[in-house]
Parts: sequence; C-alpha cells; structure tokens
Amino acid sequence: MEYILKNGIVYDPANKVNGEKKDVMFKDGKIVEKVSSDAKVLDVTDKIVMPAGVDPHSHVAGPKLVVGRLYRPEDSRKGVTQKTNLLRGESGFSIPSCPTTGYRYSRLGYGTVVEAAMPPLEAKHTHDEIATIPNIDIPALPLFGNNWFVLEFAREGKIDELAAFISAWLKISKGYGVKIVNPCGSEAWGWGMNVHGINDKAPYFDVTSKEVIRALAKANEKLGLPHSIHIHPNDLGHPGNVPTTLETFESVKDIDKNAAVRNQNLHCCHLQFHSYSGNSWKDASSGAEEVAKYVNKADNITCDVGQVTFDETTTMTADAPMEYDLFKLSGLKWVNKDIECETAAGIIPIIYSPKSPVNTLQWAIGLELFLHIDDPWKVCLTTDHPNAGPFIRYPRIISWLMSNERRMEMIDNEVHKWVHSRTTLPTLDREYDFYDIATITRAAPAKIHGFSDRGELTPGYNADIAVYDINPNDIDPSKEHELIEKKFGLTDYTIKDGEILVKDKEIVKVKESSTIWTNVKGYEEEEKAVIEGIMPFFNQYYSIKWENYPVHDHYLSNPIRVDVEASK
Amino acid sequence: MKTITFKQKKTSSIALEFDELIPDEIYTWGESDFNKYEVPIGNSRFPLTDYFDIKVEGEAESPDEVKMIINGDLNRVKYIGCKMSGGEILCNSSVDLHVGAEMSGGTIIVDGNAAAHAGREMSGGYLEIKGNTKEFTGASYIGEWRGMTGGEIIVHGNAGKQCGECLSGGKITVLGNCDILAGIHMSKGVMEIQGDVNRWPGGQMKNGTIVINGKLGRLLEGFVFDEVVDNPDIEGKVYDGRFIKYTGDIGLNGKGTLLINADVNRDKLGEYGESDDEYTSIREYRNL
Amino acid sequence: MAYEEPITDYDEIVENCTCAFCGCNCDDLDYLVKDGHVVGVRHACRLGASKIMEDMDQRLIVPMVRDDNGELKEVDWDTALDKAAEYIANSIRPVMYGWSETSTECMKEGLALGEYIGAVLDNQATICHGPSLQAVQNAGYPIQTLGEVQNRADVCVYSGSNAMNSHPRHLARYSVFCRGFFRSRGRFDRTVVTMDPKFTDTAKMSDKWIGFEQNGDYGFYNAIRAVLKGKELSQDVISGIPKEDIYELVEEMKNAEFGVLFFGLGLTHTLSKQRNIDIAIKMVQDLNKFSKWGLTPMRGHFNVNGFNIFMAFETGFPFGVDFARGYARYVLGETNTIDLLTRGEPDVFLVIAADPGAHFPNKANQHLAKIPVIQIDIHWGPSTELADVVLPGSFIGVECGGTSYRMDGVLIFMKKAIDKPETCRDDEWIVRELKERVMKLRKEPNVAPEYIPNPAAQ
Repeated sequence: MEYILKNGIVYDPANKVNGEKKDVMFKDGKIVEKVSSDAKVLDVTDKIVMPAGVDPHSHVAGPKLVVGRLYRPEDSRKGVTQKTNLLRGESGFSIPSCPTTGYRYSRLGYGTVVEAAMPPLEAKHTHDEIATIPNIDIPALPLFGNNWFVLEFAREGKIDELAAFISAWLKISKGYGVKIVNPCGSEAWGWGMNVHGINDKAPYFDVTSKEVIRALAKANEKLGLPHSIHIHPNDLGHPGNVPTTLETFESVKDIDKNAAVRNQNLHCCHLQFHSYSGNSWKDASSGAEEVAKYVNKADNITCDVGQVTFDETTTMTADAPMEYDLFKLSGLKWVNKDIECETAAGIIPIIYSPKSPVNTLQWAIGLELFLHIDDPWKVCLTTDHPNAGPFIRYPRIISWLMSNERRMEMIDNEVHKWVHSRTTLPTLDREYDFYDIATITRAAPAKIHGFSDRGELTPGYNADIAVYDINPNDIDPSKEHELIEKKFGLTDYTIKDGEILVKDKEIVKVKESSTIWTNVKGYEEEEKAVIEGIMPFFNQYYSIKWENYPVHDHYLSNPIRVDVEASK
Repeated sequence: MKTITFKQKKTSSIALEFDELIPDEIYTWGESDFNKYEVPIGNSRFPLTDYFDIKVEGEAESPDEVKMIINGDLNRVKYIGCKMSGGEILCNSSVDLHVGAEMSGGTIIVDGNAAAHAGREMSGGYLEIKGNTKEFTGASYIGEWRGMTGGEIIVHGNAGKQCGECLSGGKITVLGNCDILAGIHMSKGVMEIQGDVNRWPGGQMKNGTIVINGKLGRLLEGFVFDEVVDNPDIEGKVYDGRFIKYTGDIGLNGKGTLLINADVNRDKLGEYGESDDEYTSIREYRNL
Repeated sequence: MAYEEPITDYDEIVENCTCAFCGCNCDDLDYLVKDGHVVGVRHACRLGASKIMEDMDQRLIVPMVRDDNGELKEVDWDTALDKAAEYIANSIRPVMYGWSETSTECMKEGLALGEYIGAVLDNQATICHGPSLQAVQNAGYPIQTLGEVQNRADVCVYSGSNAMNSHPRHLARYSVFCRGFFRSRGRFDRTVVTMDPKFTDTAKMSDKWIGFEQNGDYGFYNAIRAVLKGKELSQDVISGIPKEDIYELVEEMKNAEFGVLFFGLGLTHTLSKQRNIDIAIKMVQDLNKFSKWGLTPMRGHFNVNGFNIFMAFETGFPFGVDFARGYARYVLGETNTIDLLTRGEPDVFLVIAADPGAHFPNKANQHLAKIPVIQIDIHWGPSTELADVVLPGSFIGVECGGTSYRMDGVLIFMKKAIDKPETCRDDEWIVRELKERVMKLRKEPNVAPEYIPNPAAQ
C-alpha cells in the first residue's frame, strides 16, 4: 500500500529538515522517495509532520510494573474507561495497564519506547508483558550493574569474559543494551545497605562502583553495541550527589566509543535526579548548571531528564535502597523486590506538589537541564515514566519548554519560592522551537539508542510518522501554551510501520508490538566458555533451572533482531 | 423543588445499579425520560419501568432542588446516591452496597439497614442510616490511604468491621456497637461510638479522634495511656463524663487520640497508677 | 514409612519438568515415562508426585451434558461446547472462576471471553490469599525471589503456614535446608521460627515456636511493632505470649542479617483477615530500619499468583474483576465470587481448573446448584456433581505446555512431557472455542459507541 502525506510542515532533525512544507511518502511500511500515482493521499496541509516519537527511557513492562499495577488499584481506578468496538477498557493513570500503555503512547504519536530495566531472571515475564502492549515497539535493557557475575568479572578485570557474558546474556534475555542501576548499591541492599559515591565498595564482592562502570563501558565498546551503557548513577535523589554524577561521567572519559551510529559512550538517564547540590534537604539547591556545563563540554555524554510534572505518581526503580529512603520520608506503602544474584527494585507512590519546596526544586532542575544544555542532541525528553510523572504529561513539558511566559507564570504564582533562591530557572528565558522539540523527542533518542531504522524520515526507514494538528506559522507557542499541550497530546495521524493507527484523533487500528534485541556475532566460542564457567554456580545458587532461564521464542512478539559484528 | 417518587413493581435477584440515577444526572428529567431509561443489571440493561413506577412532581433548576423517594425492597439496588453532589434521597427500606459512596454533598436517609461500603470515600454531605451497616462504613477504596474526607455519617444501629477505615476527615457516629478494628489507619476526623467495641479500635492510626462511650474489649499495645480527662471537648462537642485518654498508634509514631469512657471501662483504668483517690479505691476494689 | 523400590521399568526420562502442584513450582522434576504415562517422578515431594502420577485417577475423558433427568450424559465436543456457549451467551451475570491450575495462555482467552460478555473473572485468591493481596494494596509488598532467601537468609519465620505439609519442598529447596552462597552450611546457618497456634510439623523442626492464641495475630504483631518503636509493653501477656518472649523475639529479629517472613492461610483467615497481613507487612517494613527483611506469601496453587499477575498487567486489577458494565471494576465484597454467590446473583458459573464444590461455603454451593455450571477440569470432583456441562481439559505441565508464575513472581514455563488422552482438549483451545461460539450467539453488550477518556487520567 502506498501513501503520500501531502503538504505537511515537516520537522526531521536527522535530515536537517526544519519546518519545510513537503510531502512524505511511504510504501509497504517504509519511507520512500516517490510513490506511484495510485498512492493514497492523506491531506495534512499546514500540519506538523514528525517522525514518530522515541522514548529513550520508560518503565512500561516487567516484574516491578506488575507489582505496581497489582498494589495500586486506586491508581488503576483513575483511568478506567469503557471498551469500544476496537479498544479494550483502559485503566490506570501513573501505571496504566499494558493495553492502555500502548493506546496512550499511540495517541501521543510515539512509535518506540525503551523499557529501561529488565532483570534477566524475569526477562520472560517482561517479554510476556511487552507482547500485551500494542502499537509500540519495545526494546528492553537488561540490568547488569549489580549482577554477581558482572561484579566478579569487574573485580578481576576480565573484560573479555565480561564482553562475552554481556553478549550471551543479551541473547538469553533478548535484551537490547546494557543498563546499570546504582552499581554495587542494589547489591549492598541485599544486606540492607547502600553505597555512597562511586568509590564505595559492594559488601563481599569488594569492587567499587567505578570499577563496575568502567568494566561494563569497556565491554560494551568492545562489542560495539548500538547503544552505549545506560546508567542510573549512585546516590539518586540525595542532596549533594552532583560530585558522584560528575565522577561517573569522568570515569568513562578515556574509553573510546566503538559504534558509528552514536556519539556517546555513556547515556545517563533521569539526570534531574542526579543534579542536587547541598548537604541535606535543608540546604539543597540546584546543581543543574554545573552538570549541564560538563555535558556541554563533553562529547561522550548524553542524558535524558526525568522531568517532574507535579502529579501523584508512582516511583519505581531498580535502586531499592533509594526507595526505602523515600519510604522513610513519606511512610506510604512500600514495595521492595529483590531478584536473586541480579538486582533489587523498589516502588512507592509519591505526590509531587508545587507547594513543596523539594518538589519545586526537582521541577526546576529538570527544566534547567533542558535549558542549560545547549545541544538538543544530547538531551532527551522523559519523565522517567512513571517516576517523575506519567508519560501522558510529555505535551505539558513541551509547552513549558516552548513558553518562557508560562514558566514565569508558574514561578511567580504556582510553585514554592525555593525556585528563586535555590535555582537559576527564573533567569533562563530560552525557548525551544519545534525543531528542538522534534530533536529531543525523536531524533536524539533514536541516535542515542543507535536505531538505524527509526527516528528519521529518511527513505528506507520505517514509516513511523506522527502528524499534529498544529500550524507552526499560525501559533505562538510562548503565548498559546495550553493549545500546544492539547495538540501535542493527541495526534491527527500516528503511523507505525506504514499502518495508520490513529486517524483524526481516534485510534483506528490496534497492532501487535515488536521487541527489538541485539544479537552479537563473533563471540559464540567465548560465550560458550563463559556459560560453562558459571554453570556450577548457576546450578547451585539460582532457584530455577538453566533450561528455564533463557527467553524462548514463545514469549517474543514479532522480534526485530539487530545484528552486531563484534570487533575483537 | 422536584420530587421523584420510585414505587417498586418487582425485585430482581441481580442487583440494579443506580449510579446514573443521582440528582446531578436526573434533575432535568421528566417522566418520559425515566420511561426511556434503561437501568444496568449485570452485563445488560433493562427498562427502569419494569422495576419501578416513577412519579415526577415539580421542577428543579439544580441538583439541590431534587428529592428522590425510593420505596420498596432495595436489598438488590446498589450505588444509590453514589457520587451525588446535592439533593436529597430517602430510601424507605434496607439498601444494597455503596449507598452514598463518594458523595460530595446532599443528604441520604436510609430507613433500614445498609450493606457494606456505605458512605465510602465521602467528601461531603450527610448520610443517615436508621438500621445497621456492614463492613467498611465510611471507609476508603481498596489501596487508597485517603478515605472519607468530609461530611457526616450517622448509623443508628451497629456498624460492621473496619468502620471508618482510613478516615481522613468528616465525622462518623455509631449509636450502636462497632465490630473489630474501627477507625483503622485513621489519619483525621472524628469517630464517635456510643455502644461497645469488640476489639482493637484505631489500629495503626496516625491522627484523629475516636470516642468510645461503651465497653471496650481489647486494646492494642500500640496505645499509650495519656491521662484521665473530664468532659472532653472534641471539635466543639462536649462528651459528659470521665474518659481515659490514650495516644497511638505508637507503632507508626501516631498521634491519634482514643477516648474511652472511664466509668464503663474501670478494668482498663486499674492498670495505670492514678493518683486520684477515687480511682485508687476502684483499683483496691478490683483487687478484692 | 515403608521402603519403596526404585522404579526401573520406564521408556524414557523427561528432565527439568515443572511440578503442577503448589506455589513452589519446582522446575527440577524428572518424569519417568512408560507407554505414554508418567510412572515415576524424581525429586518431587509426595504431593506433587502423586498428583502427576495419578493423572488418570477419576479422569474426565469425554465431554458431558446434564440431561433432563439430571444425569450427566456423554456427548461430542460440538454439542457440549454449543450448550456451554449458549448458557454463557444468554447470561446476565456470568462468573468465571478458577484459573489457578491452568496456564496464562488459557487465561488470555478467558479474559477475552470475559471482557466480551461482561463477566466477573475471579480466581482462588478470593478464598485463600485474597486478604494478602488486599493488605499488599494497603501496606506495600517487600518481597524477594526465593533464590535470595536461599543465598542470604539467616532467619526464616513461618507464620500461619505449615510448610512441611503444604509446601513440602519449600524448606528444602528455597529457604531452610538448602545451602546458599552466604549460608554454606544450610540449616546450621539459619534460625527458623514458627508462629502458629498449633504445634505443627513445621514448628517441630523450628528453633522457636510462638504459639499465640487463635485470632490473636493482630494484637501480637501490633505489640511487636510497639516494641520495635521502643515501647515498654503494659500487659504481661499479649495474645497468649508472655511479654518477655516478645522482647526476646524482637531482639532476634532485629539482629538478623537477612530475615524472611513466610505467611500462609493461618494468617489470612483469622479474625482480622487482611489486617493481619497488613500489620505483618508494616512490621517487616519497620524491621528494615534495623536489618534486611522481606516476606513472601505462601501461595497455594501453582499458578494462583499467575492469574493475579496476568490480570494486573492486562486490566490493572489482580482478581475479582467485574466487566459487566464494559469497564473494569474491582470492589472487594462486591465483585468476588463468594460474595456474589451468597447474594444469589450469578446466573451462569464457569469453573475452570478449580473445585468450588469442595471448597466453597455451603450457601455459595446452594446457589451453584440452582444455576447452570460449566466445568473445565481434568478430574471428577464435587464440582462435577454440580456441573451441567463438563469439558475435559488437559494437565498443564504434563500433557500440555504453558506459563505459570511462582509464588515470588518468577515466570516458569511448564513443558509438555506426554500426550493427553485423545478425547481431551487443551484448556486454551476449549476456552477459545467457547469465546468464538459466544461471539456468534450474542452481540457484545455494553460497548461504548465512541471512546470517552477518563477525566482523571487526562
């Protein structure tokens, strides 16, 4: 089937198309240069056309998500809707059910969402859920930062073995890249402890966080994976964590990246939570400027923000000790989920209120990062869904970024006065334009993750396209922020792999999702040796049999395999 | 003022759901609208007129001017007055689940018993139940830690288990007895119980006040004896008599107040070294 | 116990099968297969082994429909499925109960059917660990996988659970006797405490038995919490336990390096029901201020947790979900099987892989006797006597592969080892057939003409 999107105003940062009126054509699921005269014409005159959105860091499927859904019926109840002929009933606000997640991302014009934390032991479960989420492609990042084997390899400095281990475990868990969460800290949580700073050692394993990060970064580059290490540094959410964050960045400076598709060798997720100065919440202040200054100078670092949106939401992360700290503060219902030999996760509901000084500080730091980091290719729009806010708030964040007037209105009237004394936000008047928005929501995340089939409107790429009912020549985003939020919240068209999923603000089609995983070639022998080496340990100390560990095809929905030729 | 009178024609074994028949929705309706309306029963809808004859008198400009009178056996009619914000509903029978749940204003009077979840998560208004209620009167929706936030519930009879669970505002008065765990997880508001309480009131309460005028069964260890007070004044209402005051639940550093009638619960009093002569003699009396 | 000769007469061994009995989901079983039957099971406990080996005992082989005389008559599959579909299609308040002993693949079909027709979907949690789930929803859920217990735990507490009898391999494989990475001497490195009014078999092998009085659980745990906060206990004996014993126990729990609380139905079904678990969870959360503690509910059926997990990610609610109005509703006391049955509401009851006839209260079964009951199961049981249509399924984990979730939420794929009897069908197939037939018979009720967003999620 051939289509032509006619007369739209196209923003495609990867091809440096900045608001040009042009046609976009696609055929059989791919963008093409031209189509025949039989092509079906979709008239999008004077509407914004962008590649479909790419969410670089979100939590949508997996064992901790399901506990969240299971234990927060009061949240599920908020989003309940009646079924229609096409759609199943929805539920949930901050942690929507699987079908709801797919529908809502589609309405926002998103096509790809990266599930940012998958414990390998629970990989089958994660893929079981991914198969239930319609309309979006979901690569999942397995957790490596507290894996016992990784800690051992890192301590011994066995980078070759570690590379083989990663390569094997990506195949076993059908994962996409290397995720590191609070390295050594979640292992310390096994004994109710945490690590502080990146030179602190994990109990028993006698290895520092820094050594783990460096080892994983080296192994990652050795394999030349499409994505760099994806790190959630130590000390998340603690006042005074800026030095830890900067030391983490600094620790991989000398490691050369080894993948042509991306520029960075370290992607730091939800940087907002890692940019706090001060010593305690009493004297906490924004460290955003300092962190952003580093990111501006360094070519090897990218980040996503994790913008706080002032909602009642649910925090969930594989950084379990941090969640327990939050529990001690709020006393709300606390979930902990330790996964043997691999990781530990925590969940707690949280209410971000503009009246709270701390929440205001967090909100301001997020925006400061967006505004202080000069190159939009280095920063992505996320809320670390659902940690800082649900993903359905992306349009609101876009409206904040595009309107200094709106930000000043909030600073003056709505948020706590700490925003003046502890942050630089009131002094920043930068406003994003549509091209920048397209960069931080599409082009940059796709490049950072090393996707070579999405995030651009280049011929040959997947026909993942979003059309918004906005005429950029006819709207003043800095004044009409409400309209911007509304229009970015519901597309005129969402097209995924050439299929029209949303048409005129209604979902018209529901399709099965795909999962994307990385298949490293050239390490088969080493992988075998590593697996043989750890098999005695596995048989003794894992609670399931090896046969039950890998994800078999039964659980994979329409897998997209990314082949990587490892250079040795 | 608009009076809508429901007269029952037949009952159903499967519950009718009345969540759409609240003053906020029907204040503009005439009899013809009711004749057209289909009431949800299970997975289907049936004409309301199969079950009720409806008479409409007068006119209403807003929900507040509506008075609904529901006659007949309402033991299988649930969600009466659920989410209403104004008006008045009179039920001349016992009612099913969720009467007055999530209501934010108006009045509901039930001349009979109410099934479970009466007045759940109320934020305003007045709910009076002349008979008994079952579990979770004035409680919160499962998982929610902010339950009833306002309004008033009066139960003339006995209340079931976990009455006032997660109470975070408003007032619940039970003139009869209360089953176990009244006011559990309570964080604000007042619970007044005129009758006896079986066991463990105020488990894990953070704040708020529970007044028990009758006999208390078991008290939790999480409550710490504070003092004996005469004629305490709780949010403007003075309770005559002597009350033993506890603070709890210490398990979560709670600052809730539990007041129990000292005269009825003399056995409790004996456990604390009161200097007051009268109570010393009571202790001596007990030791005899 | 008499000595039993090892089984030597078998054709082949199927290794690493998963046990389809309790929530332990032991995935290390070896089946000894001869002539298409499992004649021996290695590594399993007696409960699991007997269930797997006695698979043909009182087996339902062919579909049956109850005739006008009240006798179950054997019929062909089409007749039975059509009859069942007719019952479901014409129902106003259908309830679909069970699911805990079948695969999540089958649940997926069941959910599609339930959502289509507007049924209540519920599982055995409603009569066993439902209070635990309610408590989890009120208080949180500090859990860990069982391997974590094996490798780290030095204090294991069993409360209201007689694991030696109900989950015989639990202590051996996951918690007490097994050697863990940091507990290399197994049992000798661990302290076991049993809290139970009865001196159970688990209590017999424990280092400590806390025999609090029946229904005294809430007061007992409340006292522990008060002590953890540093309070002096004012009563000498709390719930039948002298206060000195409570001080000693609290000290022991505070000093654990890694403690785990396993709790069973003894805690969920005494007087204060979900509040017992509620306060036990709070106690575990308090204990984390001193050391590391977690808990795990001792789930009964091998996939009872699976249904809760499956429903949570598909619909947002774990069990007792009512789709009657075209959207999901979850209200405890209203949309649960027992409440519905005792209120006399359901007009059709589908029971799959469960035995309400044996487990439900009398009043609920009295109502079941009045309404059409459709049974999908592998064995003849009390529910068969209540059933109007009987559809013989197959045995997950033996005759049919499928997904299950262990008590700690780890997904286990249960593989197929032998063929099912020729006339039986897979549960998944049966439910899918029912769904397709119902779809032909009745237009989908309660469909919104257009999508209306919920303002609370805007």
